[in-house]
Amino acid sequence: MTESKDEPSPEATLLSRREFLKKAGAGAAVIGVAGAAAPFSFAGPLRYKGRWLSGNLSLLTWVHFVPSYDQWLDPWAQQWGQANDVQVTIEHINNTLLDTRAAAEVAAQSGHDVFFNLHPMASYEDQVIDHTPIIQEVQAKVGKYMPIAQSSTYNPMTKKYFAVSDSYVPDPVVWRHDLWNGIGESPATWDHVKAAAPKLKAIGHPIGIGQSQELDSNMALIAFLMCFGSFIQNEHNHPTLQSKNTVDAVKFMAEIYQSGETSDIFGWNPASNNNYLYSGTGSLILNAISATRTPESLNLPFSNDLWIWPIPAGPHGRLGLEHLMGTWNIWKFAQNKSAAQKFLADLCIAGKDACIQSQLYNFPTFENAFPFDQINKFAAADTHPPKGKYTILTTIAKKYTHNIGYPGTTNAAIDEIFSKYLIPQMFAQVSQGKETAEDSVRHTMTAVKDIYAKWRKRGKI
Amino acid sequence: MSSALRHRLFSYGVVVPFAIVLAFPFVWMAVTSFKPEAQVYDPTKVWSFHPTLASYGFLFHHTGYVRWIKNSTFVGLMVVLITLVVAVPAGYALARLAGRVGRSLGVAIFLTYLVPPTLLFLPLSRVISRLGLEDRLWALILIYPSFTIPFAIWLLMGFFKSIPQELEDAALIDGCSRFGALVRIVLPISVPGLLTVVIFTFSLVVNEFVYAITFISSSTNRTLTVGVPTDLIRGDLYNWPGIMAAILIPSIPLALVYNAFLNRFITGFTGGAFR
Repeated sequence: MTESKDEPSPEATLLSRREFLKKAGAGAAVIGVAGAAAPFSFAGPLRYKGRWLSGNLSLLTWVHFVPSYDQWLDPWAQQWGQANDVQVTIEHINNTLLDTRAAAEVAAQSGHDVFFNLHPMASYEDQVIDHTPIIQEVQAKVGKYMPIAQSSTYNPMTKKYFAVSDSYVPDPVVWRHDLWNGIGESPATWDHVKAAAPKLKAIGHPIGIGQSQELDSNMALIAFLMCFGSFIQNEHNHPTLQSKNTVDAVKFMAEIYQSGETSDIFGWNPASNNNYLYSGTGSLILNAISATRTPESLNLPFSNDLWIWPIPAGPHGRLGLEHLMGTWNIWKFAQNKSAAQKFLADLCIAGKDACIQSQLYNFPTFENAFPFDQINKFAAADTHPPKGKYTILTTIAKKYTHNIGYPGTTNAAIDEIFSKYLIPQMFAQVSQGKETAEDSVRHTMTAVKDIYAKWRKRGKI
Repeated sequence: MSSALRHRLFSYGVVVPFAIVLAFPFVWMAVTSFKPEAQVYDPTKVWSFHPTLASYGFLFHHTGYVRWIKNSTFVGLMVVLITLVVAVPAGYALARLAGRVGRSLGVAIFLTYLVPPTLLFLPLSRVISRLGLEDRLWALILIYPSFTIPFAIWLLMGFFKSIPQELEDAALIDGCSRFGALVRIVLPISVPGLLTVVIFTFSLVVNEFVYAITFISSSTNRTLTVGVPTDLIRGDLYNWPGIMAAILIPSIPLALVYNAFLNRFITGFTGGAFR
């Protein structure tokens, strides 16, 4: 077989060193220029669209009471990550474990970039960045930061935003209309509640307001104090708990307990009041609307008889608290602060979606993210009977919802009092007959004063 | 009525009520795990039972349950191994250290077991962070021996003390080294004690919660004790059938193991008591 003339000889296919360098150099130049000039020409989109955000972002948040919220948040975070070329990791833990976890991350000076909690962590002010740029960016797009959020996350003493709040949760009274109607009462005022309590207990359906070391008891009892004109501090953040109003309120609640509650309330956790209602036993609790949403989803036999109203009025009026204050905190030791800030700003801007996906559980903290009139329309469209029952939420949110520490701001001392559950303890001591109301209030005030002195010394109040 | 019959009736009279009381939670757990979720919450249907495998399906298909079990088992086995490697020679040395020093050391080691994790987790967080073990199962494998080893040393120390010194002396006279005596003479006699350490350590590790929730955050690395309350309790809504199923499944093999080695387990615990 003869060799074909068309085929090059082996020598002809070899490159000299000079030719190799020439061709390789030209090739590299072509690839480099083409790659830089046309990002999609050969390598797809650039990995990091915004270089200042690049990298990873880790967030720790709670397992939301309304599952559909998490089903929205998790993919939203991933989409945000793709849009900003950031690898977002979002982890959920049970709400009762958030404080422990925060303490561990601070102790270790490492952990997640962004930490969510259900109450403002004012005592960690030195551990977090100033969140002012986030709030300014969001305000420029979706309106003013609401007073409740401002009071919950801003320290006027240090002029620092120690957190950014994307949402708060109104705290209505949830009550069994069928049971209350049966005894001819309604929880319009605390006097009505006291009058109805023994009758409801007699028919096997006690009241369910906790006096335990947990979140719901804290919220309900601090709000109850406010209805009686008793405040932990005044508008200048000076402690004012020791007053005749406080003593009266503590005595009043002890009477409600003795006539219309059971000792279960002293050992409750944040889910206990809800479960008390779901079991068909409880006739009234103070809780966010997860207490009505869950019976609706489980189709419990009394779900249509669960009504929501504003907190009952006391001698000082109708003053309630938020049930939860959704606050996001960027630690100083966060690895990717730029991405964290951008993420939180965009999350706050998406307040409307968050409110809808949480089924009206989360209310946005920026005025125009989802204005009250639009929320009201959305609530009116809810078909669960009695129809329109959720429209009251906007009234509660606008008129009767205040920050913890009202009329002052939520500060480190308030955070510590809240975290140590001093107020539920003050009530429980009297309800259980261990102390007189006067002694219990006095002892609590001593502890409160010490806490204020400590934080004043640290320059935080 | 014969005395044997009276004795038997008395025994059953005491044991049966206890057995019923102790078995009741397990029965309730098993029944609840087969109930539909809505039925558990419905107060009008407390005593009705329409069995379903829905909660088991949910566990295996919609949560990381299998992964949690794997993680717990891996951590448990590793900690058992480390505990045995450290506690056996330590327990033996303390058992044979005569006098006040040995006793004091034994008590001192046991006292470290009594420091609660709720105090220790904060400083240990820093240790774990420094070692770069955040969100890794190795963090737990490193930390758990801090409470399993003291207990195991204390338990084995008592057990080793119950073994006659003469047996080892005979081995030493026959040319065995101290280590050889431990391996060839002491350990074979100490199987009940070792078994007790294995079972007890494994149970402690599988049930531990505080360190697991503190040091592990990603769902893929969660252990059973953290995965169940995180994924099966949604705020105020407890997925009771799912929780019961999640607890029932690992409790069955553990109960069988306990039952199979019950006599040895009791011997292990009481080994040091009848010296």
